[in-house]
Amino acid sequence: MTISIWRYSHLTLAISSSIFILLATLTGIVLAFEPVSNQLKPYAVKNADTFSLSKTIENLKSEYDDIISIEMDKNDFVIATVFTNEGKNETFYINPFTAKKIGNLIEKAPIFKFATNLHRSLFLKSTGRAIIGFISFLLLLMAITGVLLIIKRQGGKKHFFSKIIKEGSNQYYHIIIGRYALIPLIIITISGVYLSLEKFSLLPSDKNVHISNKEISTEASKLNMTDFDLFKSITLNDIECVEFPFSNDVEDYFVLKLKDKELYVNQYNGEVISQKKDGFVTLASSYSMILHTGQGTIIWAIVLLLTCFSILFFMFSGFSMTFDRRKNRIKIKNKFSKDAAEYIILVGSETGSTFGFAKVLYNALIAQGKSVFVSELNTYSSYKKAAHLVVFTSTYGDGEAPANARYFEKLVRTIPQKNKLQYSVVGFGSLNYKSFCKYAIIVDALLQSHQKFIPNLSLRKINNQSFIAFKNWVDFWSKSKGLNLEIEKPEKISHSKLFKVINKSKINSDHSFLIELEPTQKTHFASGDLLSIYPKNTHTERLYSIGKIGNNVLLSIKKHEFGICSNYLNQLKENDMLFADIKQNKAFHFPTSAKEVVMISNGTGIAPFLGMINNENHNHIKTYLFWGGRTKESYQMYSKHIDKAFYNKKLSGIYLSFSNEENQKKYVQNALAENEELISRVLKNKGVIMICGSITMRNGVLETLENISSSKLNIPLNMNQIKTDCY
Amino acid sequence: MKHTLVFKTLPILVITLFVFFGFKNKVNTTSYKCMIQMTNYTGEGAYIAISLLNPDGTYEKTLYIQGDDDEWYSDITEWWKFHGKIRADIDAITGATISGGGRTISVIQIDDDKIDVGYKIRFESAVEDQEYYKDDVEFELTSESVKSKVDGNGFIRYVRIIPQ
Repeated sequence: MTISIWRYSHLTLAISSSIFILLATLTGIVLAFEPVSNQLKPYAVKNADTFSLSKTIENLKSEYDDIISIEMDKNDFVIATVFTNEGKNETFYINPFTAKKIGNLIEKAPIFKFATNLHRSLFLKSTGRAIIGFISFLLLLMAITGVLLIIKRQGGKKHFFSKIIKEGSNQYYHIIIGRYALIPLIIITISGVYLSLEKFSLLPSDKNVHISNKEISTEASKLNMTDFDLFKSITLNDIECVEFPFSNDVEDYFVLKLKDKELYVNQYNGEVISQKKDGFVTLASSYSMILHTGQGTIIWAIVLLLTCFSILFFMFSGFSMTFDRRKNRIKIKNKFSKDAAEYIILVGSETGSTFGFAKVLYNALIAQGKSVFVSELNTYSSYKKAAHLVVFTSTYGDGEAPANARYFEKLVRTIPQKNKLQYSVVGFGSLNYKSFCKYAIIVDALLQSHQKFIPNLSLRKINNQSFIAFKNWVDFWSKSKGLNLEIEKPEKISHSKLFKVINKSKINSDHSFLIELEPTQKTHFASGDLLSIYPKNTHTERLYSIGKIGNNVLLSIKKHEFGICSNYLNQLKENDMLFADIKQNKAFHFPTSAKEVVMISNGTGIAPFLGMINNENHNHIKTYLFWGGRTKESYQMYSKHIDKAFYNKKLSGIYLSFSNEENQKKYVQNALAENEELISRVLKNKGVIMICGSITMRNGVLETLENISSSKLNIPLNMNQIKTDCY
Repeated sequence: MKHTLVFKTLPILVITLFVFFGFKNKVNTTSYKCMIQMTNYTGEGAYIAISLLNPDGTYEKTLYIQGDDDEWYSDITEWWKFHGKIRADIDAITGATISGGGRTISVIQIDDDKIDVGYKIRFESAVEDQEYYKDDVEFELTSESVKSKVDGNGFIRYVRIIPQ
């Protein structure tokens, strides 16, 4: 419940205040340079801060006619206002050791004047100040809701600073930068709000008053002001400002403004007449000013500058995430009402992406003349004619229901169902999360315990929205219903490119062959990307993992007896042309930042690895290839590419396992277990393990890796080190 | 005959003397220390314009401005009618605003020939979103008044002034 409120308010706040925040941020960037440029001016005198006030006065007295005030500014420059011997009144920076003028007061550059004005009042005077103060408050709220969102997402306060799982770069950096910029951001906004409140006199006034010193000595001692004990003991670092007595009248006194109090000092005997301590409000104002503007410290000014840049990034990444979410929200227009449909599809999704899959199934069923109704889990109701229920759901956070499935559990328990429904549940998620598809497991268990629901297929979990895995499930499901569904990937317009066949191997004993294609136009892709092919006269997409050899696409294909696409590809000859698309698959690109990479595959799953081990840019990374096939003969066709990599020292080890050889009955996971030293070392050294091939193989391999990790390293397998592309 | 000569020469003599002294006494100016003590009002720092008024009561010159952000100058209404038109360079005679309860010492320059001839000095004060006082402090410049203390009617508690 709460998560959605926080996200909603985080977004609403951002939208409503974005233009003003943008203005304030851009001007803030400009203004951050002001304290820096002031600090770099050469008016700071070394050791001036430890120089005594009385010496400073003495020096000034001998140099000038009369002194009006001495000030130590935020940059630690000493400013004196004096009458020069020519009778002129001047204010300038001095060197306290010599009392000589060392420079005129810094004049605020026009650009800073302009930016300051825009920053604090948008040139709208009080109205503008009120707006900016309010916006600052909104930004504070955003920072707070942001913290809550991070805590929620990371699964508790304790994990606030633990590793973030990368799903998209916008999201990833929004959180990463959010964690670091958080504290300065909160400081900026609180001080900003404080300064605005001060401008509108909405703060309690400082109640401290001057308290007279009762023990004023009566003796009319007359001392030279440079002999006052007080002035001797005070250094320039202690003072903010010293105002000299206005006239020679005994009623006129020195006003010493120190860091935390104000003193009135008799001008003839140096006694403190009265003093006033700064109250909380005064101190808070002065700190707000320093913290908000960065006056006097370059480092803080730079922190402020970086924070401004991070706000710009938050705006950009935040809005692009929102737009992505909008795009994913596919609207489905139901042809049948809930009580008329035979098939019910219910969707639970946080970001809307799961709806795409529901739509694919919906279209396929409608094409077969079936009556279907699609809705969100939250709208669960009674279904008069329904016989089949399908639930597609993602998981939020640590096994929680996604936004539109929050009431499902309660509804299932309270709403009576007339018919018995056959159900099956598909969970969408990422193996990178500990609680992979956890909510789908909960839904599955919930339905299982319900009298009116009969399990049809067991729960299927789909990693990283793999369309191949989804298609696999659909085939399985439609068979169980006695249907023959053709599903289509929800595609935007197809940008098919033309490829030329360069080379095609003969079919081997495993019914597999290699085919090398050359793009006819400039195409960017990497090993691990997918090639999408629509064979003639079909609307069904087939996807193959690409190995990039030079600039060509290498595919390894298993021919199925009735496979339309594999047969179509098998009959191609050299120089034949075909249309295909390249689908980026960043999740399975070669990890260039790892030191060691283990590649595990079976059958035709070797294709992307053939490209990776022959890429000249991966020189410094050690690679080990595990491959499992039926017989030695089935390996022959790949050996050319592997020998080449070996010869060029791109491959550090190859481990083959044959499951159907006379003297060997070994699977790839057996080879892993035999080389557990290597595997545990790679895991320990933050290497990456890539798996490509069948799902059965993947499950076996993951189990073996888990065993190695827990027995050798005493830690559970870290899924962030695993990349998979399995079907 | 002699009389006519006197009548003819006297004006010439007077004019000559006038011109002569006029050039020689290139009008002396005196610096005055001027302290403004504010009342304990709450709110923003006050903007204060110190101006010289001629015997007719019209503005002649800006002597000092407390407040260095010209965004707010138009709040000092009467003075702005004068200064807003000519926009004389006042950079050298501006200081920071003064907050409630505060005091500030500034130095102003007044030509000696403005003393004891009916010229006046005026302190106007304005605080953001609060009142504006056209004559918070206003008094005639005499050799007595330029070393005195004058109470204010608005944000200013009193003004003290002494020749330097």
